Amino acid sequence: MKKIIAALLIGILCVISLCSCGIDEVPATLEDSMEIPENGIISESVFQALKDENKVIVFKGKSNEIEYEWTVFGKDIEEPKDTNLAIEILEDKVDSLSFKLSSEEDLNFGATLAIHSVNLWTAENAQLFFADQTDKEAVANVSITGEKSSVLNMAVQKKGTYKVLPLKQQSETKKDETSNSTDAKTGNATDESGRALSDGTQTGQDSYLTDPVPEGKPLPVEPTEKEKETSVEKPQTEAPPVAHYCTISIECSTILNNLDWLEPSKLDCVPGDGYILYPVTVEFYDGESVFDVLQRTCNYYGIHMEASWTPMYNSAYVEGIGNLYEFDCGSGSGWMYRVNWWYPNYGCSRYQLADGDYIEWRYTCDLGADVGGGYAVGN
Amino acid sequence: MANKDAFGSYHPVINFLYFGILLAFSMLSMQPVCLVVSVACAIVYYIMLKGAKAIKLLLRGMLPVFLLTVIINPAFSHEGSTILCYLPTGNPLTLESIIYGIFAGMMMVSILLWFACFSEIVTSDKFVYLFGRIIPALSLILSMTLRFVPRFKEQFDVVRDVQKTLGRDTSTGPMLKRIRNAITCFSIVITWSLENAIETADSMKSRGYGSKHRTAYSIYRWEERDKGVLAFLLFCGLFLLAGGLSNNLFWRYFPTVRGVLTKPITLALELTFSLLCALPIYLDRRESKQWNSLTSKI
Repeated sequence: MKKIIAALLIGILCVISLCSCGIDEVPATLEDSMEIPENGIISESVFQALKDENKVIVFKGKSNEIEYEWTVFGKDIEEPKDTNLAIEILEDKVDSLSFKLSSEEDLNFGATLAIHSVNLWTAENAQLFFADQTDKEAVANVSITGEKSSVLNMAVQKKGTYKVLPLKQQSETKKDETSNSTDAKTGNATDESGRALSDGTQTGQDSYLTDPVPEGKPLPVEPTEKEKETSVEKPQTEAPPVAHYCTISIECSTILNNLDWLEPSKLDCVPGDGYILYPVTVEFYDGESVFDVLQRTCNYYGIHMEASWTPMYNSAYVEGIGNLYEFDCGSGSGWMYRVNWWYPNYGCSRYQLADGDYIEWRYTCDLGADVGGGYAVGN
Repeated sequence: MANKDAFGSYHPVINFLYFGILLAFSMLSMQPVCLVVSVACAIVYYIMLKGAKAIKLLLRGMLPVFLLTVIINPAFSHEGSTILCYLPTGNPLTLESIIYGIFAGMMMVSILLWFACFSEIVTSDKFVYLFGRIIPALSLILSMTLRFVPRFKEQFDVVRDVQKTLGRDTSTGPMLKRIRNAITCFSIVITWSLENAIETADSMKSRGYGSKHRTAYSIYRWEERDKGVLAFLLFCGLFLLAGGLSNNLFWRYFPTVRGVLTKPITLALELTFSLLCALPIYLDRRESKQWNSLTSKI
């Protein structure tokens, strides 16, 4: 009996130690932030320590009274060396910012640069260009966060002078063309894909506690049998469902702005540049909602996503994407979605997609205020 | 054999301190090595204490608890970076949640078993001996509460038999009548237990329980051997506390399974915890060996 128990015990211990191969890998930890010195040079030993101990550090600097921060993940550093992290802000206006990297050579690691502009940008999204090539392809996407003044987050690696410009809002033009069409039968405004638009006259909440939808924005479409039809495979005789295309991105730059609020264990899940999924164009079918597309896309790219059905709001509630959950970065944190630069005030299963929609899933640390969507939660 | 359980014959302070340290540590630490050792030792010790009856409890009580935790956790928790497949709800099934479920189940089983051992070793007379002076009312209530369920069951059997002779049978007859008779029995036992509690309290009071000058006979003596065990317990407790506070027993299951397992200091902590868990087993074995060698010489 005793021998059997001892053998069992040793067996279990062996299994555990086998399972734990690679578990001894050091989990990421957050280091206190560090000021960037006058000359901007951060020494090799600092980066060596970051790399060896898998740390995350925020380097803070100032140029023309404008604050900026570099967030560097130890996992991104391959070859530590002395690096100049200073930048010079050349221009800071509403919807336009340019700066120059002081470094004489390209950085040999990826890092996120957050510039705290003194202005509040009117643009919802921006892109990063080389200052002399603003007509060419963008270097990176810039995520705009911040409540009273904008914080521009971007991944910068190459030396040179940069310019941040707003992303052209295709939806604006699209809306102008379509919002005039009126359904002959019902007299309600619709867009070109037949979606009912709000006329802004509705007052009071609907049966799922949704406040009135602003004028010109699509009304919620209840997820019903219609959706199930498309998910169930149709008989071969029928024509295949018509594919439409939309763009989706998943991004959590606000976490990089508030790393000290983050659950320490979640540091490993935060992407160094804030993007869990860069904007990609994906297919969807008639009657599908934002949630359907999110689920399919996450499934396809192997991104973790957890959602739960909330009958009260007749929609799915996205609890976490990429293991970053609600409340992981402060009590006001969680996932929000924005379609064509508007944060709908209803659940993502009730937003029916139209061709060319631009979906962004953004992590907020302050009930939407820091990603420009405070209105969606009634603030 | 002179004493069935050698560890139980140690001073009550030692018994109580031992379970205090062990339960606190088992509840707070999720370190897999410590959990496995804790479960294994708890099973062995419980079998040593209860014999064949223990195996029945293990299979009927502990195994379902363990399996239930293992199944329920991944069904409701979807966190974790290793996605194995997708559940019908559309949420992922992750390796981390399965691993967590296994170890959470182990933790539950180990704590239940250590509590079962606790109630075998720290009997109510030992409990009252320990706390009768410091917190007389509370320790009386505790020991009465701990005895409540078994006494209630005994009394219920008695009342049911008496009621049967009066024609209020709870085992035969129409369903409604049986239920009515059972409720009558139940009401009688409830009344009895309330009255009994007051009587017990009054009786304890009239015997001077809790008063300053009352002395009580006790069979417990502080012996030389208790000192050695006390020193060992204090060492283990402090070492484990220091190790836990200094993050050397760090372990996390979400979002990735990470932790320290093979650092020298962690190995030392794991070894210390194993020794702590195995202490009563070792003491019992030593005692029975001694007894056997003594009897063989006669």
